[in-house]
Amino acid sequence: MIELRELSKRYPGPDGGTPALERVTLALPDGEFVAIVGKSGSGKSTLINLVAGIDRPSSGEVQVNGVSVPSLGESRLASWRGRNVGVVFQFFQLLPTMTVLENVMLPMDFCGTYPPAAARERALKLLAQVGIPEQAGKLPSALSGGQQQRAAIARALANDPPLIVADEPTGNLDSQTADAVLALLASLARDGKTVLMVTHERDVSAIADRVVTLSDGKVVGNEVASRAGRALHHA
Amino acid sequence: MRNAAWAMAPRWRKLWRDAVAERGRFVLMLVAVAVSLSALGAVLGAYAVLTREMADNYLGTVPAHATLELAGDVDAVVLAKVRAQPGIEAAEARDVILARARVGDDWRPLLLFVVDDFGALSLSRFAPQEGAYPPPPATTLLERTAVGMLGATTGGRLQLKTPHGPLVSLPVAGLVHDPGLAPAWQERCGYAYVTRQTLKQQLGEDGALHELRVRFRGVEETMPAVQAAAQSLAAALRAQGIAVSEIKVPPPRRHPHQTQMTTVLFLLLAFSALSLLLSGVLVATTLAALLARQVREIGVMKTLGARTAQLAALYLAMVAAIGVVSLLLAWPLGMLGTRGFAGAVSQLLNFTLRDAWPPAWVWGVQAAAALCVPAAVAALPVWRACRVTVREAIDRHGVSSERLRARIARWPATLRNLLRRPARAALTLGLLAAGGAMFMTALNVSRSWELTIDKVYQTRHYDVELRLHAAQPLALRERLAREPAVRRVEAWGYSEAAFARAGEVDLSHAYPDRGHGSFSVMAPPPDTRFISFPLRAGRWLQPGDDDAVVLNHAALAQQKQLKIGDAVSISIGGRVTRWRLVGIVEEIGAAGVAYVSDRAFARVTATEGRARLLRVATTASHAAQRQQLIRALETRLAEAGGSVETAAPLAELRTAMGDHIVILIRALMALAAVMAAVGGLGLASSLGISVLERTRELAVMKTLGATAPRLIRGVLGEAQWMGLASGVLAFALSLPLTGLLDGLVGGLGFVAPLPFAVAWAAVAGWFVLVAAVSCAAALPPALRAAGAPIALALAQV
Repeated sequence: MIELRELSKRYPGPDGGTPALERVTLALPDGEFVAIVGKSGSGKSTLINLVAGIDRPSSGEVQVNGVSVPSLGESRLASWRGRNVGVVFQFFQLLPTMTVLENVMLPMDFCGTYPPAAARERALKLLAQVGIPEQAGKLPSALSGGQQQRAAIARALANDPPLIVADEPTGNLDSQTADAVLALLASLARDGKTVLMVTHERDVSAIADRVVTLSDGKVVGNEVASRAGRALHHA
Repeated sequence: MRNAAWAMAPRWRKLWRDAVAERGRFVLMLVAVAVSLSALGAVLGAYAVLTREMADNYLGTVPAHATLELAGDVDAVVLAKVRAQPGIEAAEARDVILARARVGDDWRPLLLFVVDDFGALSLSRFAPQEGAYPPPPATTLLERTAVGMLGATTGGRLQLKTPHGPLVSLPVAGLVHDPGLAPAWQERCGYAYVTRQTLKQQLGEDGALHELRVRFRGVEETMPAVQAAAQSLAAALRAQGIAVSEIKVPPPRRHPHQTQMTTVLFLLLAFSALSLLLSGVLVATTLAALLARQVREIGVMKTLGARTAQLAALYLAMVAAIGVVSLLLAWPLGMLGTRGFAGAVSQLLNFTLRDAWPPAWVWGVQAAAALCVPAAVAALPVWRACRVTVREAIDRHGVSSERLRARIARWPATLRNLLRRPARAALTLGLLAAGGAMFMTALNVSRSWELTIDKVYQTRHYDVELRLHAAQPLALRERLAREPAVRRVEAWGYSEAAFARAGEVDLSHAYPDRGHGSFSVMAPPPDTRFISFPLRAGRWLQPGDDDAVVLNHAALAQQKQLKIGDAVSISIGGRVTRWRLVGIVEEIGAAGVAYVSDRAFARVTATEGRARLLRVATTASHAAQRQQLIRALETRLAEAGGSVETAAPLAELRTAMGDHIVILIRALMALAAVMAAVGGLGLASSLGISVLERTRELAVMKTLGATAPRLIRGVLGEAQWMGLASGVLAFALSLPLTGLLDGLVGGLGFVAPLPFAVAWAAVAGWFVLVAAVSCAAALPPALRAAGAPIALALAQV
C-alpha cells in the first residue's frame, strides 16, 4: 500500500520557489498497475520520485508498505530502495561499461541479497523472463532501445521489490516496442507487484488498473480501469 | 577459472572496466604518482644509506676528539705521559705539513700527513686501497682522491717540496682511503702520507712530529665537553713542562661535509615529498573529473541500493590500486635512484659505500605514502561526488552553482567556461602553480648560486695569491711588479691565528685537513684595491687604525656573541693580541678571517717592512697564461730567497666553491623537472576531460553555426588562460620560496644567504612550456569534438 498524505513539493527559486505538488493525498493498493498522467509540468515525475525516495517532500508524508520514506536517512534510504523499489528510467540508464548480465546483478551486489554465483543464476532467469536471455554477455550499446529497456526492467526486478516505479519507460521507444514494454510491465502487476508508471501514452486505460491524473501539482482524477476491458484489449 | 571470474562482485568489475575505458588518464595518474614516489624513495633511501654509512666510514676512522699542537716533538716519552693521564682513551703522534707538489710545470698545494707507526693506527685511521702498506722507507702513499690532482698513482713518482727541504721525487708505494678527509679534488689540495723517517731523511725536515691527537674516555661528545677536556689535558701537560701552543677541536662526530649532506638531503626530501603531494592532487583532480562524468551512474547506482559509503569505498579502492601499481614501479626506480644518488654524495664525502641497499623502513614509508597520500587528497572529492543525491545526480548539467554563474555572467565566455567546475579549476590551477613555483624556485636558486660564485670575482680584484712560509722584505713587491702581465702587486700581512681566551690555550675548530673551521689574520695595505667586501655592520679599516679589527662573517660565526665595539683577543704566533671590533664584512668563499691594519699587524708580530702574503693583479686573459705567470713569479721569489707555501689563482677558489654544492643544484634541477612534469600532466588531464565533457555542448554550438576553427579556438583559449593564470600564481609563489631556499642553501655553503635572484629565462620558459602543454593537451580532444558528427555528439548523455 502506498499512502500519500498532504504531500507537497516546492522547488527553490525566486518568489518563493516553484510548486511542483500541492497537498496531494492518495492511497494506492498493492498489486495495481497505476498510470500517472498529465501535461508537462503537472508534477508526475515529482510524484514518483517522492514515492521512490529519489526526492524529498517539502511537506506531507509518503508511506510505502508502512515505511515512512522521507524519515529515512540517505544511507538507509538507499538500502531500502534497493530492496523495495525497482526504478525504470526513460533513458534506460544502464551502466555502459558493464554487460547486461552484470547490470542486472548489480542491485543484488549492493544490497547483499545474493552471493555472486546465485546472483548470476537469478540474473539469467530475469533476462529470460523479459525475453532477452541471449543479450546477457553484451554491452548496452550493442542492444536496441527496446532491448535496453527490457534489460533495465530485469535490473529493476533483481531484488524482487514489491514496487516498480517507471518514469516514461516508453518515451524513447517506437510504438511497437513501447507496446511490448507496457505489456511486460502489466504482466508484472498481474504477478502481484505494484507498478507506478508516468506516461504520455494516450490510451493507458487499456493496460492500467488505475489512472491518476495530475494537473498543476494536484490530483484531478483517480479512476480505476476495468480488468475485463483490458483483458479483451490485450487478447 | 570462469567460476573464479564470476565470483568477483559486479561492482569491482565495473571499476576495472571504467579504468580500462579511461586507461589514458589512469596511465597518466600512474606515471605522476610513480615518478614522485621514485623521487621520494631515492632521496629517502639515500638519506638512510648515507647516515648509516657515515657511522661505518667516518666514525670508523676513530676521529680524534682533539689535536694539541706541541712546541716540541711528540715522542715516546710525551706519549707515555699523555696516556698516563686519566680519561685518555687513545693518543698518537702525527703531523700535517703544508708542502707543495710539482705536477708538470705547476705547483699544487699538498697536505703531507706524517705518521709515526702505520701499523698501529689507533686514531684518524685510514685503510690501504692498493699497493704496499705500510709504505717502505723513502716512499709515500697517496689518498685515492688525490690521484687526479697530483697526476701520480701507485708505481709512479711524486715530486714534492716541504718548507725547509729541497724538491724531492718519491716513489708512490700505494693508495689509501681516508674517509676523515673531504675529497682532494674538492679542496683543490693533494694528500700524501709519509713516515717520520722519510720526512727527515728524504724530505729535509727535522723529523719532529708536533701534533698530539687524543680521544677521551667518559667525555660527552659535545663541543663544550671536549673543549673542556682538551684544555684540562693541556694544563696538565703544561704542568709537566710540555708546552701546548694550540688546540684544535673539530665538531665531534661530524664529517667536514656532514652539514652539507644533511641539509642537501633534507631539502631534497622536502621537495620530493611536495612532488608526491602534487601527484596526489593530480590524482584527486583527475578522479574528480572522472567522477563528474560518472555522476549519473552514481545516481543510478544509488537507485539500485548503493550507499554513499559503498560507492566511496569503490572509488577510493581505485585510488589505492593506483598507489599499489605506482609503488611496484617506484620501488625499483627508487632503488636505482638511491644507489645513484648515494653514490654521488658518497663521492662528495669521500666514502666507500659498503651497502647501498636502503633499510626496509624506507620501502615501508614509500608504501605508506603510496597508499595514503593519493587517497587522503582524493578522499574529499570522492566523498563529495558520492554524496550526491539521486535527484541531483540525474538533474546535474555539469555547470557551477547559480550564484557563481550570476557573478561571472559578464566575464568573457572563455573564462566562464573555465569556471564551470570551480573546484576542479582551483585544483588544476593549484597543481600547475605549485609545479611551476618549484620549477622557478629551483632555477632561481641556481641563478642565486651563480651570482654568489660571481661574487668571488666581484669582491676580489686580484688574480693570483702567493703565500710564503715566512714574511719577506717588501722589496719583493717591486721585483714581482716588473714581470710582464703584472698590473699591480700588494704585500699583506698574514698569519694563522686563533680566538684567545684568558687562561686557556688558543682553540680553533679546524679539521685535520686544515681547511674547514680555520681562522687567520690578514693585514692589507691602507690603499688596497684588491678587496671590496660588502659591509654587514660597522665600518672598514681606516688610516690611523691601531687596534681596529674587522671580522668576516665566517669568523663571526665562530664567535657569535661578538658585536661592534667589543674587545676581541686573538692569538697570533702564540702571542695574545687585543683588538676592538669595528666592522663585519661578508666574504664569500673564505674561512674565518680577521682584518687589521698592516701597521698594527707588523707591530704585534714584529714584521715591520716584511710581508707573508702577496696578491697580484695580472693582465692574463686565460688559465694557461696565468699559470705561466705564476711559474715566473715563483722563480723570482725563489731567486730572492722567498719560499712559497701556496700559489693559487683566484679561479681555483671559484672551482672549489662550485664543486662543494653542485650536487645540490643538480638535484634541485632534477626535482624541478619532476614538479614541472607532474604539473603538466595535471593540466593535460584536466583539459582533456573538460573538453570531453562538453562534446554535446560543442555539437549544439555547431548546429547554431559555430565553425570547427572557432570551436577549437575557444577551447585553446581556455587552455591558455589556465596556463597564464597558473604562471602568474607560480611566479608569485616562487618569490618567497626562493628567499627561503636562498637562506638555507647560503647558510649551508657560506654561512650567508644567497643573493635573491630571479632566473627570468626560467620564468619565461615556464610560460612557454605551459602554453605548449596546454595546446598539446587541449588540441586533440578539441579537434575530435569539433569534427564529431553532430547527431552522435548530441546522443551522448
